[in-house]
Amino acid sequence: MKRQKTVYEAAIDHGFTRRDFLKMCTALAATLGLEYTQSDKVVKAMETNTRVPVIWMQFQDCTGCSESFIRSSQPKTESVLLDMISLEYSEVLSAPSGFQVESSMEQVYKDYKGEYIIAVEGSIPDDDSFLSVGGKSAKDTFIKMAEGAKAIIAYGSCSSWGGVAAAYPNPTGAKPITAHVKNTPVILVPGCPPIAEVMTGVIAYIITFGKFPELDHLGRPTSFYRHRIHDKCNRRAYFDAGLFVENFDDEGAKQGYCLYKVGCKGPTTYNSCAEMRWNGGVSYPIQSGNPCIGCSEKGFWDNGPFFERRAKIPGTQTTINPDEVGLAALGLTAAGIAVHAAGTVVKKKKDDKRGEEE
Amino acid sequence: MSDLMPNLPNQTPNYYTPETNSEASFHPERPIKYKPVNESVKVYVWELPVRIFHWVNMLAIILLMITGVYIGKPFASASIPEEAYYSNLMGWMRYIHFFAAFLFTVNLLFRLYWVFKGNKFSTSNPLRWVFWKEVFQTIKFYLFLKNKKPHYIGHNPLAQLSYWIFIGLGSWIVMLTGFYMYTEPQHASFWGKLFSWVPYIFGGDSYTIRSWHHLAAWGFMLFTLIHVYMAFRDDYLERNGSISSMLTGYKVEPKKLVGGKDEK
Repeated sequence: MKRQKTVYEAAIDHGFTRRDFLKMCTALAATLGLEYTQSDKVVKAMETNTRVPVIWMQFQDCTGCSESFIRSSQPKTESVLLDMISLEYSEVLSAPSGFQVESSMEQVYKDYKGEYIIAVEGSIPDDDSFLSVGGKSAKDTFIKMAEGAKAIIAYGSCSSWGGVAAAYPNPTGAKPITAHVKNTPVILVPGCPPIAEVMTGVIAYIITFGKFPELDHLGRPTSFYRHRIHDKCNRRAYFDAGLFVENFDDEGAKQGYCLYKVGCKGPTTYNSCAEMRWNGGVSYPIQSGNPCIGCSEKGFWDNGPFFERRAKIPGTQTTINPDEVGLAALGLTAAGIAVHAAGTVVKKKKDDKRGEEE
Repeated sequence: MSDLMPNLPNQTPNYYTPETNSEASFHPERPIKYKPVNESVKVYVWELPVRIFHWVNMLAIILLMITGVYIGKPFASASIPEEAYYSNLMGWMRYIHFFAAFLFTVNLLFRLYWVFKGNKFSTSNPLRWVFWKEVFQTIKFYLFLKNKKPHYIGHNPLAQLSYWIFIGLGSWIVMLTGFYMYTEPQHASFWGKLFSWVPYIFGGDSYTIRSWHHLAAWGFMLFTLIHVYMAFRDDYLERNGSISSMLTGYKVEPKKLVGGKDEK
């Protein structure tokens, strides 16, 4: 096995001073949700840990997750890419292409078996004819690489849940990557795309501490997916007050009322948009006046129209609104009761008459 | 049916004369119709705890339905616009919803206890063949078909079945999904952990759990409608005091139904 430079050595090589390095570690500790006093742990880890080889695989995706990743502000993408990890294979960022880059994946598999980390973007179709990379079945490549990996990070809703490609009727038979992983631990970082700082934060944690952060029951890091958007929303006060946007052009929309009635999925969505926000903490959809579409939730494409708030009948498409079905059932029942009651009265009158005659 | 509802004899009661009071002297040419109740007994069907459960349950369900519909689809906005500070309409709706939910739950748990403690009318066993045979007969009765449905003092088997479905199953769906959503902001808390297993039976994500809550709520609405109709219908057909028995506990039933012999 080749010896990789430690993160500290790599940083010094790239022209950073020790002071810069310490600053980076402190900021990183904050991103990871650690206390200031624990930043020495991060420093120690960065001084001793070697850079981890990472393979970034893309399947049925839109490269949106890569696009989000390269816009991280804290930790900065370049410090992750250049100092913490050694990105050996990436369809978007690798300088070489073709045989050269495919062979470097092979090389990682040989040199760093059990050491490298895979970052995955996109879902995997059942039918290979829908997806092959470099002339090989993408599914087979993934299964082979996954076996030799230390850990797998599923970036985005497609790799975590199946996402857009797996939306009904799922023509390609798209599945989340977890369907093809046997023994390698997987961490899910859903979102369409995930927040850049969450993406870099997760990988930074894994590299710093050599293990996954605490995960919830679905395999997501609790530090970023513990809260509902709704509970941290900057418009929450308007929800509790009962002030709602009814239309996107009404006065409420101008005043910044709650977007619940125009389809906001915040109450059923776990993500840290409301806390971390996007583009370096500038804003996020709800703050900008658009309801949350619940992009980090399982099957969000099938969870109803984006601008209408409704429940679904489990196992069906949300083209059926259960509340309308319920109301119709109630109406039918009321009509049925009216008919039945009339029948009951008529029958009783008839029975009474017969009783009189007997 | 005809033996239960005999042709009413026209008799003028002999214990009063037209002069006794305003009612007796009123329209003497329109005699009072009545039937003797000697062959009947007053049966203590609904014990006090069951009656209290019933009305508390009704109150909780009404509160839950009104506030629940509002939470699902806020049909009214706060009257003071612009500032969120002045009103707390959704906040109150949710507060009442949660309060009623706890009432509903505690009430139901108490009723569960009374299943073991109470009289025979407070429990049910659907695991008997005769139960299902009589369910079938009762369905035929409600469809106005020829049937062999016996007369019941308590609930008929079809009614019992509906309680198994709506109270036995429906309220557990609604309570578990409800409490899960209630603890959603604090998964890591004690109460959050208490309900952390709920997603595993209801299919994973928050959205699906919320959908189950909606469906069960609609089930309750349907149930309420049918339940109230059936109660009044029973009172109308049997004239045994079904409705008032929910308050008094007593129903008037033929003596033979409680094991007594006809004196005729």
